[in-house]
Amino acid sequence: MDLNYTAEDVAFRKQVRTWLEQNMPRQIKDLAERKVWHRKLYEAGYLGMGWPKEYGGQGARPMEQAIVADEMARAGAPAPTNGLGVGIVGPTIVVHGTDAQKRRYLRKILTAEDMWCQLYSEPNAGSDLAALRTAAEDRGDHFQVNGQKIWTSGGAIADWGLLLARTDPAAAKHKGISCFLINMRQPGVDVRPLKQITGSSEFCEVFMTNARVEKENLIGRLGEGWGIAQTTLGYERGGRALARITSYAVQYNHLMNAARRLKRNGRPILDDAVTRQKLGRIWADLEVERYGALRVLTMLERGEHPGAGGSLTKLSYSEFEKRFMELAEEILGPYGQLTDGVPAEYRLEVDTAVGDHGTWAYAFLWSRAGTIYAGSSEIQKNVIGERILGLPKESRADRVGGTR
Amino acid sequence: MNFSFSEDQTLLRNSVRAALDEQCKPAHVRAMMEDDRGYSEALWAEMAKLGWLGLPFAEEQGGAGLGLVELALVLEEMGRAAYPGPYFASVVLAGLGLQAGGSAAQQEKWLPAIASGQARGTAALLEDSLDWDPAATTATATRTGAGFRLTGVKRFVPWAHVADVALVPARVPEGVSLFLVDPRAAGVTLTPMVGIDLATRWSEMSLDGAAAEMMGPAGGAGPVLEGLLRRAAVGASAEMLGAARRCLDMSVGYAKVREQFGQLIGSFQAIRHRCAEMLLEVEKAHAAVYYAAWALSAGAEDAAMAASVCKSFVSEAARQVCGDAIQVHGGIGFTWEYDLHLYFKRAKALEPLYGDAAYHRELLVRGVTASA
Repeated sequence: MDLNYTAEDVAFRKQVRTWLEQNMPRQIKDLAERKVWHRKLYEAGYLGMGWPKEYGGQGARPMEQAIVADEMARAGAPAPTNGLGVGIVGPTIVVHGTDAQKRRYLRKILTAEDMWCQLYSEPNAGSDLAALRTAAEDRGDHFQVNGQKIWTSGGAIADWGLLLARTDPAAAKHKGISCFLINMRQPGVDVRPLKQITGSSEFCEVFMTNARVEKENLIGRLGEGWGIAQTTLGYERGGRALARITSYAVQYNHLMNAARRLKRNGRPILDDAVTRQKLGRIWADLEVERYGALRVLTMLERGEHPGAGGSLTKLSYSEFEKRFMELAEEILGPYGQLTDGVPAEYRLEVDTAVGDHGTWAYAFLWSRAGTIYAGSSEIQKNVIGERILGLPKESRADRVGGTR
Repeated sequence: MNFSFSEDQTLLRNSVRAALDEQCKPAHVRAMMEDDRGYSEALWAEMAKLGWLGLPFAEEQGGAGLGLVELALVLEEMGRAAYPGPYFASVVLAGLGLQAGGSAAQQEKWLPAIASGQARGTAALLEDSLDWDPAATTATATRTGAGFRLTGVKRFVPWAHVADVALVPARVPEGVSLFLVDPRAAGVTLTPMVGIDLATRWSEMSLDGAAAEMMGPAGGAGPVLEGLLRRAAVGASAEMLGAARRCLDMSVGYAKVREQFGQLIGSFQAIRHRCAEMLLEVEKAHAAVYYAAWALSAGAEDAAMAASVCKSFVSEAARQVCGDAIQVHGGIGFTWEYDLHLYFKRAKALEPLYGDAAYHRELLVRGVTASA
């Protein structure tokens, strides 16, 4: 057990910090500018770092990826774009794709020339993703797709989508699903932004009506989609593990500054014993999250995969974020609810990948999403209970028979 | 960066667990709860032989020269077994205290004796007010020739009734100093303070002109006591972690065999989710304990903060997990006959000691505001 960073990692961190100081843009106004920044990161070797070298990545160690993300968080650097492409679609193609698919798609994911989204969830298939009904029918020379997807991040700016669709309605629920690459820029695909409680639209609804998928864009074999989707959920390489905590720490410092200025009962809120207890608790929780991230990184560095342990990590930080944001709101009072006209002292200047929502109000509302997306807290607890603790599965009506 | 145990550390854990599984079964714990002295000399001698009693001391003082990570591993296993005996008092409180603040002669006299099992020690860190701040000390010491005489009342002194030496803070004109006191000497009166964890023994130590030897400089107890408190906080957290893990294991085991409504209760989400939450708390407590143990051992910049993170987090996590274990078990978990309460009570006993969660949270906020 040695929780010091190696000399090599310290040197690498310094190199990243220097590069950021010299290259980081102050502000990003639109997607075009974000793509420029994205490409700059890629050319410097700081994007898609974990990808194999033959496909344009760096074959970097998990710790190096974590350090880059961490330094970006520390510096308040804008996020790159095409996160799902780089984080999920690319690695899926690397593992399951054909040579032709790899040649056609991989590099353009890294350069953000092709923007990607993930077409998984449906109105009636959320936590129960395998209940999806979008159908892909074999029409001889192509597949014809009909159905509706929802909660599609970046759907409005995507050129391509990684699609899960049912190809065999007669097969058992988890066995009739296949995985495809679908062109989003075609008449049969209608993308409508979904306005969230934040007032912004990071997500979309996607309606597919007789949409076309070429035969060569099937990933893996027919009926293997569920298994492929399960592995893509496991591509989390801990890349954001440290960065997430560092972002929280930056926000925590903003909050402390506000707690020094704001008063209650004639005294700074920071001098209030009850508030101090709450701030102390959140700091401890934040540090414990950091220790947990170091544990995960240790595993990844040794080439071990956290597997179901990823559910513990996700459950932990998403629930923490809600507690943290609730405390922030408590301290900031109505300032915490401002979406516009925020005095400089109470701004939360963080880049949110959509550009202009760096407010506590946005961060607070957004914290409600984390315990729902990518497997709700309840689903994570099921996974932990069944796969880590070995508790018996509940009896479920869908574990037998087909879907119709 | 490596947050995992070395091969040697894993071997140590396995050997401690094997020894305690064999010699510190629940039946042993229960027998010691009824015992006058409260611990087994045979097991103590065995622990000396295995090198546990001198684990963190230098080799020339009869120790194994290991660090706080290894000590935390042993303490976690002791929590898991609800070990009844003066290990923590002797090795952590007296041992690490002497190591940090004792003169060469004092260390020479006591550390090899503690390591070999011939002597047991403790520390009297609390008074009536329950304030852990060393500056709150009210006991006084007056110089008499070569030595001192101590007056005051100390509370919750662990295993004082079997100790040969106690570290006792007391006030002199220069400030708070540390003293070594023989708990059996004239002028010392020990009165048992019986808590809910009968496998832990506390005494009230009344000092009425008791003879004492000064340890460290006059008025200079602060840094030694602060360092000792941090180590004790992390050590106690390791023990609470062990107790919590035992409670989790018992709960999961029970949920896999207990049937109600014709089904195993572990198949109900109400139970499964609770167990998942318990595991998360235990894993976080693990990270907090071993990060802090490493940080203190390595003299890391954030060592003091890590100790407070650890104690504030683990105090509440262990309370939650051990309490949830009773809930998962239902009625059987509330019986004296079932072993769950041994671990529940061990965690509870340690929760307020060496600074409770609120105490350490305040230290954290002071630390954060000082560094900002």
